[in-house]
Amino acid sequence: MISKAFAVFNKDFHSELRTRYAINSLAMFVIVAISVIMFAVGQEKISEGLTGGLFWVVIFFTAMSGLARTFVSEEERGTSLTLQLVASPSAVFSGKLLFNIILVFCMNTVIALLYAALFESFVIKNYSLFFFSFVLGNIGLAISSTIIAAIISKAGAKGTLYPVLSFPILLPLILTSVQLTLFSLDGTSIEDAKFELAIVVSYDVIMLTVSYMLFDFIWKD
Amino acid sequence: MIWKIILFLLISFVSIAGIAFPIVKNPQAWYEFPNIPGLEENAKIIFFHVPTAWLTLIAFLMSTVFSFKYLKNKNMDDDAKAYAAAQLGMVFCILATVTGAVWAKFAWGAFWSWDPRQTSIFALLLIYGALFALRSSIESEEKRATLSSVYSMIAFVTVPFFIFIMPRIMKGLHPGSADDTGAGPIVNFQMNSSMLFIFVLSLIGFTILYYWMWQVSYKSVIYRDKLNKNLIRG
Amino acid sequence: MESFLSNNSIYIVMIIVLIVWGGIFFYLLSLDKRIKNVEKEIKNGEQNEK
Repeated sequence: MISKAFAVFNKDFHSELRTRYAINSLAMFVIVAISVIMFAVGQEKISEGLTGGLFWVVIFFTAMSGLARTFVSEEERGTSLTLQLVASPSAVFSGKLLFNIILVFCMNTVIALLYAALFESFVIKNYSLFFFSFVLGNIGLAISSTIIAAIISKAGAKGTLYPVLSFPILLPLILTSVQLTLFSLDGTSIEDAKFELAIVVSYDVIMLTVSYMLFDFIWKD
Repeated sequence: MIWKIILFLLISFVSIAGIAFPIVKNPQAWYEFPNIPGLEENAKIIFFHVPTAWLTLIAFLMSTVFSFKYLKNKNMDDDAKAYAAAQLGMVFCILATVTGAVWAKFAWGAFWSWDPRQTSIFALLLIYGALFALRSSIESEEKRATLSSVYSMIAFVTVPFFIFIMPRIMKGLHPGSADDTGAGPIVNFQMNSSMLFIFVLSLIGFTILYYWMWQVSYKSVIYRDKLNKNLIRG
Repeated sequence: MESFLSNNSIYIVMIIVLIVWGGIFFYLLSLDKRIKNVEKEIKNGEQNEK
């Protein structure tokens, strides 16, 4: 199963390298979103709390613009039936999830670097806390958006429905991650942020199990 | 038939008691409510607002249970039941949000202040909205039932998180929340026995009402589908 | 009676709420009956087909 999952991942990775559709659109979206925020902010000096929130606003909308591709492109090209024959549902999901996790990590690293360079108040005081919350938050984001992307690809309307469906599911993760980002900007120690980290970890675990359990129903129809 | 009459009397009694029974400093007679500092006459909302919020949760729970049943048995009737429960849940969710906001304007001074409870009910509203957006976008019946069942189960899993996260992130204003200083947790100890009794009666009455409405609603969905199929066949 | 009601206007609210509740209740009752009739019709139709 693991080798099948890697095969699915490999296929996605190579087709992505050939077209560079997701990477290009994500990169452009990040630049557009951040520049819109920069224009809106103008010469004002915004507070730490606001930058922490805006950071996750950009991450959320960028994820919504690009992460649905993995499943929607299968449906568009009509290759999902072949994929069903070749690999088991959990292998397909694992492959797609791996691809999305890597995509999310690339995208969010770029966003974090841009924020650190462009916003004066985005100064991280506690790097290890930021790192942990960043990794856990990214994994959670990838898991939820992958399973929702699978639902979307089977539904009729593709573009507009994705953020609508994802937002309530992602809301606990985003709220906690905003809080964790604020903590790392404040310089709060990891000890004090244990509760929030535990919430994000449990979110990731629960979402992962639920996704694996329910993906069979979405995939086989 | 008899339970419908009981339901009618029950909710009539609750509305009479909830609206007209006086609030006094030292309740003596059985029909007098205690005066809760910070809430005063506003406290009477508990007989009408809390049941709607309660029904929102019950409906969400039922919708998830029937979604689970659908995924297990693939019986379209279960999907109709889940759909009817979600529809009613949406109605009661809107009612709870609006009544709560109107009450908050006079108790806290603003219609909306992102109190933990307000945020959770807002999240529920978003989930219901997303569910109906998903349902309306799919043509095929079985696909619609499967996907919306899956989505409502995923959404159900996220709900417990709100209970843990909200109090940490936001300050509570709502009566009954942990760090509530102004109004006091009325649910715990400031209600006297007659107020508690009528509150419980109102919960029971509204639950029966919900159950009845749900029955009418899911039956109508099932029969509509049946008639449509007969039309296509005949 | 009239002066009592105009002094204690909360009772007017109560009466109005009761009337509204009665309306909703009887509407639901009629809806329930209609659904039951449809149920019967569908069952009869199925038996006739057989």
